[in-house]
Amino acid sequence: MALGDCWKQLSWFYYQYLLVTALYMLEPWERTVFNSLLISVAAMAVYTGYVFVPQHIMAILNYFEVVQ
Amino acid sequence: CKNGPGTGVANSLPRHEPFEQAPMYVAVMTYLGYGLVTLFGYFRDFLRAVGLEKCHVAQERSEQKDFVPLYQDFENFYNRNLYMRVRDNWNRPICSLPGPVFDLMERISDDYNWTFRFTGRTIPNVINVGSYNYLGFAENNVDFLKTVAEKTQEYGVGVCSTRQEIANLSLHQELEQLVANFLGLESSMAFGMGFATNSMNIPALVGKGCLILSDELNHTSLILGARLSGATIRVFKHNNMHSLEKMLREAICSGQPRTHRPWKKILIMVEGIYSMEGSVVRLPEILALKKKYKAYLYLDEAHSIGAVGPTGRGVTELFNVNAADVDIMMGTFTKSFGACGGYIAGKKVLVDYIRRHSHSAIYATAMSPPVTEQVIRAMKCIMGQDGGDEGIRRVRQLAENTRYFRARLKEMGFIIYGNDDSPVVPILLYMPAKVVAFAREMLRRKIGVVVVGFPATPITEARARFCLSAAHTRPMLDQVRLLRPLRLHNCGCFLSMPITISQR
Repeated sequence: MALGDCWKQLSWFYYQYLLVTALYMLEPWERTVFNSLLISVAAMAVYTGYVFVPQHIMAILNYFEVVQ
Repeated sequence: CKNGPGTGVANSLPRHEPFEQAPMYVAVMTYLGYGLVTLFGYFRDFLRAVGLEKCHVAQERSEQKDFVPLYQDFENFYNRNLYMRVRDNWNRPICSLPGPVFDLMERISDDYNWTFRFTGRTIPNVINVGSYNYLGFAENNVDFLKTVAEKTQEYGVGVCSTRQEIANLSLHQELEQLVANFLGLESSMAFGMGFATNSMNIPALVGKGCLILSDELNHTSLILGARLSGATIRVFKHNNMHSLEKMLREAICSGQPRTHRPWKKILIMVEGIYSMEGSVVRLPEILALKKKYKAYLYLDEAHSIGAVGPTGRGVTELFNVNAADVDIMMGTFTKSFGACGGYIAGKKVLVDYIRRHSHSAIYATAMSPPVTEQVIRAMKCIMGQDGGDEGIRRVRQLAENTRYFRARLKEMGFIIYGNDDSPVVPILLYMPAKVVAFAREMLRRKIGVVVVGFPATPITEARARFCLSAAHTRPMLDQVRLLRPLRLHNCGCFLSMPITISQR
């Protein structure tokens, strides 16, 4: 069924991620620490984007005199 | 057409020996992976120093804190933080003979590989692609081992002395005569340990005032022997004839450092097959260089004797050169003959000199009689002197297995180093976690491989090494290659390997 396949595909991607970043060799709590750090950095980046990107886009459009 | 007669060098078939580079993203990922584990290693060391975590490794005592630190160098750091985490893939205890299939003892660890305990079960019938069993002589077939049993009954097992004192058995002389006949040389001498053959005999051959030109990827025994001898050592790039020639010319022109006197001897040390790459030495070109510049050649055929060549005589037969052109032929009995020990063969003058001047000949215990008889019977089998064609069948089977396995692996798109004729097949895995996952998953699927990482290979070129054997059957090889973490297109596969450039 589609959900099972989706889950299998996601597990495979997570496994590849563990292998490529060498997290596979670390203990589970170390993996949790690294994953939380990574997710928090990514979340902060997304939040910053959400807050500031509209202002930046308006400033750029203003500069090129597309909108006043 | 006035091209004239071709030389032997030009006529030999160009052997296809690629050393492919990995794609850039693979190298970057490998460094990132190592960087991450190193950072966590520093973090764990900090926790151990502060006392939040129990330290399982050796530590200095508090009274020694003012002295030079013992455990802070990179090697110890690597050992504590990278090797210890994953060391269940090495030193696995075996409880059967290392034939084409073997049994492993099952062991598990409760504290992330700091300690192990045996569960009491064995893992039976694991396919063995890690042992150096090229011709399949590591066997316990009663018919083949009859002469070994007879000699053990006649001579016992211990010799209790050295060759020079009172343990020069007639069996040893028979072995040496047989080895000399096998290689087509005048005379040979056999030693009890392969590593000691190199490290103890090179000091007898060269000394201060001599020059050793050794290949970049030579084995530790050659390097140790060269260092012990006290000669000047210069290293040339692996299998690179331009580098070697440049060094020879420079050495002959400028002589010894500081005094500029001519070198007493120049010795070129190479191996027949390099065990970590599977590449074969360029013998005809080295012989041409040696003759031109009047140097001597030391050829270490540890992996290639018995395993290459149409009748198993090694790289000299593979390239169709005269074995007497190589000044010192060395080899071991460990790999293709299923025994232990090594030999040095060459002119009678050379071997007689070694008999009197080598540390191993004078001080080391002689070879044990059952081991000697095992080598004798294996060699007679290969030469066909025992009346059958079992030996030649094994040599042909090994060549066929090698060609088949390498061709199929290349088809599947892996990066493989080495010559097409060499039975040592290293598959590059690059990333440290992939190496570990590969070994564990292969064991789960009942295939025992040897994976090698940093100290034995460059840090970015971790690999898995397959050693093929004449005792492997076609179904076994298929099981190994199909059950592997393979098939980049199939999402069921779990270790996507970097594919070769040719397949893009």
